[in-house]
Amino acid sequence: MATVIPVDEFISDEWYPGFKPGYTHAPWYVDPVQTFRKEDEENFWFLDFHWPRGLTPMGLIWNEDGYNWASQLAAEQMPLPPGRGITCRLGGTHTYGSALPVNDPREIGQRARRLEHSLPPFLQNFDTIWGQMREEVNESWDYFRGVDLSKLSLEDLRENLIQARQYHKRAFEIHFQVMYPLLANYVGFYSMCTELGLDPGQIGKFLQGYDTKIMETDRELWRLTAAARTAGLEQAFAAHEADGVRAALAAQGGPASTWLTRFDDFLQIYGWRTEGSCDIALPSWIEDATPALGMIKTFLQKGTDHDFAAARAAAVEEREAAVDAARSKLTLDEQRLFDGGLASCRAANFPWWQDDHNYYIDLRISLPMRWACHAIADRVGAGHPDDTLYLFWEEIMDVSSGRRPFAGLRDLVEERKQYFDYWLQRRPSMPKVVGTVPESVNDPILIEIFGLNSHFLRAVEAVGSEGTVKTLTGVPASKGIGRGIARVLHNADELHRLSPGEVLVCESTSPNWTPAFAKIAACVCDGGGTLSHAAIVGREYGVPTVTAVGLATLLISDGDEVEVDGSSGHVTVLKHAGNGRTKD
Amino acid sequence: MPDAIAWVDAIAPEQAVGVCGAKMGRLAELRRAGVSLPKGFTVTVEAYRRHWAQAGLSEAVGAALAGLGPAAGSAEIEAAARAAQAELTSREMSAELAGLIGEAYEELSSRCFDINVPTAVRSSAVGEDSGTASFAGIFDSYLGVSGPDRVLEAVRQCWASLFNARAVAYRLRSGLDHRDMPMAVGVIELINARASGVAFSAHPVTGKTDRIVIETSWGWGEAVVQGLVTPDHVEVGKADGRILDYQVAAKKVVSNFDYAVGRVIETAMPARLVDRRVLDDEQIAAVVDAVRAVERYYGYPVDVEWVLDRHRREGEPVCVVQARPVTVVNAAAEPTPTEWNPAAMATKYVFKT
Repeated sequence: MATVIPVDEFISDEWYPGFKPGYTHAPWYVDPVQTFRKEDEENFWFLDFHWPRGLTPMGLIWNEDGYNWASQLAAEQMPLPPGRGITCRLGGTHTYGSALPVNDPREIGQRARRLEHSLPPFLQNFDTIWGQMREEVNESWDYFRGVDLSKLSLEDLRENLIQARQYHKRAFEIHFQVMYPLLANYVGFYSMCTELGLDPGQIGKFLQGYDTKIMETDRELWRLTAAARTAGLEQAFAAHEADGVRAALAAQGGPASTWLTRFDDFLQIYGWRTEGSCDIALPSWIEDATPALGMIKTFLQKGTDHDFAAARAAAVEEREAAVDAARSKLTLDEQRLFDGGLASCRAANFPWWQDDHNYYIDLRISLPMRWACHAIADRVGAGHPDDTLYLFWEEIMDVSSGRRPFAGLRDLVEERKQYFDYWLQRRPSMPKVVGTVPESVNDPILIEIFGLNSHFLRAVEAVGSEGTVKTLTGVPASKGIGRGIARVLHNADELHRLSPGEVLVCESTSPNWTPAFAKIAACVCDGGGTLSHAAIVGREYGVPTVTAVGLATLLISDGDEVEVDGSSGHVTVLKHAGNGRTKD
Repeated sequence: MPDAIAWVDAIAPEQAVGVCGAKMGRLAELRRAGVSLPKGFTVTVEAYRRHWAQAGLSEAVGAALAGLGPAAGSAEIEAAARAAQAELTSREMSAELAGLIGEAYEELSSRCFDINVPTAVRSSAVGEDSGTASFAGIFDSYLGVSGPDRVLEAVRQCWASLFNARAVAYRLRSGLDHRDMPMAVGVIELINARASGVAFSAHPVTGKTDRIVIETSWGWGEAVVQGLVTPDHVEVGKADGRILDYQVAAKKVVSNFDYAVGRVIETAMPARLVDRRVLDDEQIAAVVDAVRAVERYYGYPVDVEWVLDRHRREGEPVCVVQARPVTVVNAAAEPTPTEWNPAAMATKYVFKT
């Protein structure tokens, strides 16, 4: 009998206080963003790890323009034979996602035939295609960077915000147009390798060791760390919390000022990124450099520098050895097939793109909208720059066109901030999945990025009857055994709580979590697979990592002593934290 | 008049199956495949027919089996089979036939430069491996039979096994006439086996034809063939002979020649050999050469039983003791794609449509 997790606690007509959508404000391709209804229980919904704090009203534009427009559009264009992309439902401020299936076998067959024509040329020309897309994204980025918002009229700010949203929307069209074919190819290759009898734990290695924009940033952070050590700044970093470091260094003057100048130069290149994926509510490092300074602070605690060149060389060597070992087990015919798949996956390298695209899209693409919203807030006399982020699109269009005074929305904004906080508190205890747990999921994004593989699904079914858990099992993503105190983090901005040698336990990681891998003993994720961010970075940094554990963040408590076996996929709770259990 | 004795290296290959029955006929045919075969002869179908006629078995056996219908119960079959076998074993072989067999055995011993050479005496019925009926494992075989009297006795036992209960029941179910299945018997030198095993020129599980799968253990092949031991498992690329996988198994039982009894029997594997790898790369290559040659000859995937002689030197072939085409595995295998097709792979593995 199918496992059903009720949706009742989330059923509501209202998105946020004072907003019932009329579905006229944002187009969708197949299915719109909605709140939960009882009939949604028939489908399978997973709590999206991308926004652990929840989304503000303006942030929900991502759901409208990302999942419900861009992913659905891409799934139709490619097309994805059995699916129409991703849709979502709101649990308060939080997003539950689900695949939109195609059920008619005749239509699936037709879509599969269309895919046979569309997929190969895309993969073969990936370099050129992605290059052009990146250029388009960069060109618009330069445009928005070049606009002096302080000189624009309110009406022009409104126009700028509309442009920024269009840019954001277009960027996610690109995002999904690339992600689906790359993932379909990769997951096909992965499965074929498994069928050829190759060790699944080795397959991710075949594509590792290629440099990305995100790794470039991490390297620069470590260079700054080394420079801080040389300049004798360790004391200043150690004595202050991350948010106080800048003031302390400025006051110190001398080498500290020189270092700060260098740090600011770094920010001008690498600082246009937020501390989470595609969320308008998040500041960039330019706006608030605390996360970057916090990284450097923890890197300094580690005492030694991370040798990127050595780690990269080791990753490349491991890659080549893994490929050689795999090929030696295959017949000539199988080698031809394997070589073809590997060449295709290298020419259109999903793991590489998965890291690289974050720099160009996910981590910065919300910023132009954020700047415009802040400028409008300033212009209409809102009390706080973020106030406009608590307006819905129609509302901010009205306010910026002068049709509706902001003053009339002030109370509503306050009420919505409380609503946001309420749901932020509630997040850690929210069910990871709701609805009917299916036999299998066949959208490659849901399988690989969200880890909704059969292992995860069975874990979700099994956990209902269990009390305290000693051993959890997931996908072995990065080899080795690591042991330490568990830090259960729900948010990248909690990363400062991690001390060197501890074990990171989280729903999932994204690029802003990467620097933590230089200091942790192991990593455990609720979701993911062999190619999710944590798996890739875990291998690059040699950190034992297990993904798709299912409910690690609920079953492991902060402070527990755990052992993570990244080769077998087992996570064992050696000692419970006892009365010091901190769940929230 | 056709001969009662046919030598493996002398019988015309195109007549071999008719004269020597399925198993020995196939072995003799393999001369054309150019593989190394054991020395030996067959007590032919003609010899069996002569004995049958001289001893009046047609009536006696017919009477024993009369009244068995297709719906006969197992107890009924059991009793009738026992009666038929008693008729066979109680009738003396003619002195002439016994003399011919004894003489052939002396000749085999001398060809092997041995006295009372140990032999394998194997049933080789006509039609036993035909496309429509498989009597695999139903008829008797004796390993390590030494001396003319024991060989004669083993030949009579093989004849009698034609009427064991399983064979009778099988023919009844298949609607075959008991008299339409004459039995030849092979007498071949027992190769002094260092190691033996089976080899498939298609993967027995996946049916893929691009690899050769070898299963092997120390000593004679009975323990491997009968599944009494977990053998070492080797996979080799057919196109280039590269060893793709070698899994050393814990081999706990060995088929071993017991000199006191004069038979091959199963005993516990000596501890030092249990976990030891059986075949080295050169020996694997020799097995692969033999399998390829047999497959080339039949033009189908094949199943080969082979023995590695204790005195074999590097570069010499392994000895093939049995081979047959395998036609069923291929049907199950889906054709292996020859080049990467991303849409087909995604459809097969991701979308599962």
